[in-house]
Amino acid sequence: MDALETYVRAGLELAGDEVDEVDIAVIRAADAVYGPAMRALDEADLTHVMPEPALDPSRPPQPL
Amino acid sequence: MSHPQDLSLREQAAAIAHGDLDPRELLQATLARIEERDGELNSIVARFPDESERMLAQAPPGPLHGVPVAIKDMFSLPWRAPRDGTTHEQLPTGESGVYRRLRDSGAVIVGVTNMHFWGGGSTGAVSAYGPVGNPWSIEHCGGGSSGGSAAAVGARLVAAAVGSDGGGSVRLPAAYCGITGLKGTFGSAPPDGYTHGFSSLGAVGPMCRDAADARLFGEVLFNRVLPPADATGLRVGIVRSPFWEDLDPEVERACEDALGAAGWATEEITIAGAEHSRVATVLRLTLEALPAVQPHELEDAHPLMRALIKYEKLLPARHLVQADRIRALLRRELNQAFEGVDLVVWPTVPAPAPPIANPTVQLPSGPKPADPANVGQTGIGNLAGIPGISVPVGIHSSGLPMALQLQADWGRENTLLDAAEHIEHATQRQFVDAVPPIAAATAT
Repeated sequence: MDALETYVRAGLELAGDEVDEVDIAVIRAADAVYGPAMRALDEADLTHVMPEPALDPSRPPQPL
Repeated sequence: MSHPQDLSLREQAAAIAHGDLDPRELLQATLARIEERDGELNSIVARFPDESERMLAQAPPGPLHGVPVAIKDMFSLPWRAPRDGTTHEQLPTGESGVYRRLRDSGAVIVGVTNMHFWGGGSTGAVSAYGPVGNPWSIEHCGGGSSGGSAAAVGARLVAAAVGSDGGGSVRLPAAYCGITGLKGTFGSAPPDGYTHGFSSLGAVGPMCRDAADARLFGEVLFNRVLPPADATGLRVGIVRSPFWEDLDPEVERACEDALGAAGWATEEITIAGAEHSRVATVLRLTLEALPAVQPHELEDAHPLMRALIKYEKLLPARHLVQADRIRALLRRELNQAFEGVDLVVWPTVPAPAPPIANPTVQLPSGPKPADPANVGQTGIGNLAGIPGISVPVGIHSSGLPMALQLQADWGRENTLLDAAEHIEHATQRQFVDAVPPIAAATAT
């Protein structure tokens, strides 16, 4: 059992969900597709980007 | 006259208004065409002739008086609860805001359209009702999540259908099916009675054969006038990275050719953070929807979708914090970009519709699952909240449509429609008037 499967089984057990082989296979595939981009997002230096208070997607962002 | 569903939306509305077309005959002809033509296409999952006839009998005067339309399975109707591509009712029956706008326009709802399970994909290959086919090749994906709406319009079952777009779900199936799909600015249509009314990304939009029909239907859905204007002088921003990278070469050429034909002034611009827009969209989209999934739904959910829900439960919260910072950055970057250009433009999808049996697209970098490839082209518009439109610009050597995406400043749907009509004119309407095999194969 590799780290991903260990993490998935433990995490879902904590969440009260059963896990089967289909779950493991799909999650492994999803992580192969999205995992690298998520890790790149985590590593991006966004400390200079102020979050948008009171987000309203129907309008342009308000000046800070 | 040929079959009335071969007329455009505006032609149907005008013919009824002038007394040249009996709306009762139009309704019966539309239901008959759906019965005859929809089989393997599987674009419409529910019909209700009695309710349609009742809507027609009570239809008020309006811009769509007596005109049949279809609606995605995400909106409450007085006689049917929306199911979101599942077997479960997601909301009660009732008058959703979108239903009220259709009813008040005089439109007649003739069917509820198929869609990707929970709205969670861009292919339409996964649905409790079976996959949505493509009017150009029944073995290929009709798209998602508003795939049934796109396929129904493409196959000329109806001239207009309602779609909704949380990560590209109007624009992507429109591109696959060779129709025109407009995602409105966030909040352009009322969220009540919409299964994803909780979403900060989802927006309603018209799906029609061309921009003039989308203008008419958009005015109804958005409840405001979208006045036409000359689009000759529009300024266009080309964002090469990442949106013009790793494209099917024919798609890239068709989009470049359409831009060349349009003759607009173009300039290359950059959008900081755009490289993260795909994953930021996926994170926001899926994690917003997660609390809406009821435990009893998981029991009989499609195994793929059930496993993806479990994956989403395991995602660290810091991902979403970073995604929201990217969203803030992208909104500021786009707002600044629209000070210098009227449109930002790139291909709607990187490759034509994949086979239903294997929803993988062939790109220069190799075969890729269609969903992440597609949402990378469209999600930025959902994160920002801006309107976007997909315009047919070619037919691939595989026989499947190709499309260009235009996006504009908040509230500038009219500019997108002007630009789309300009492209149609510049390309001699050869792609919006192209008839798919399913529509050419039968006479009625």
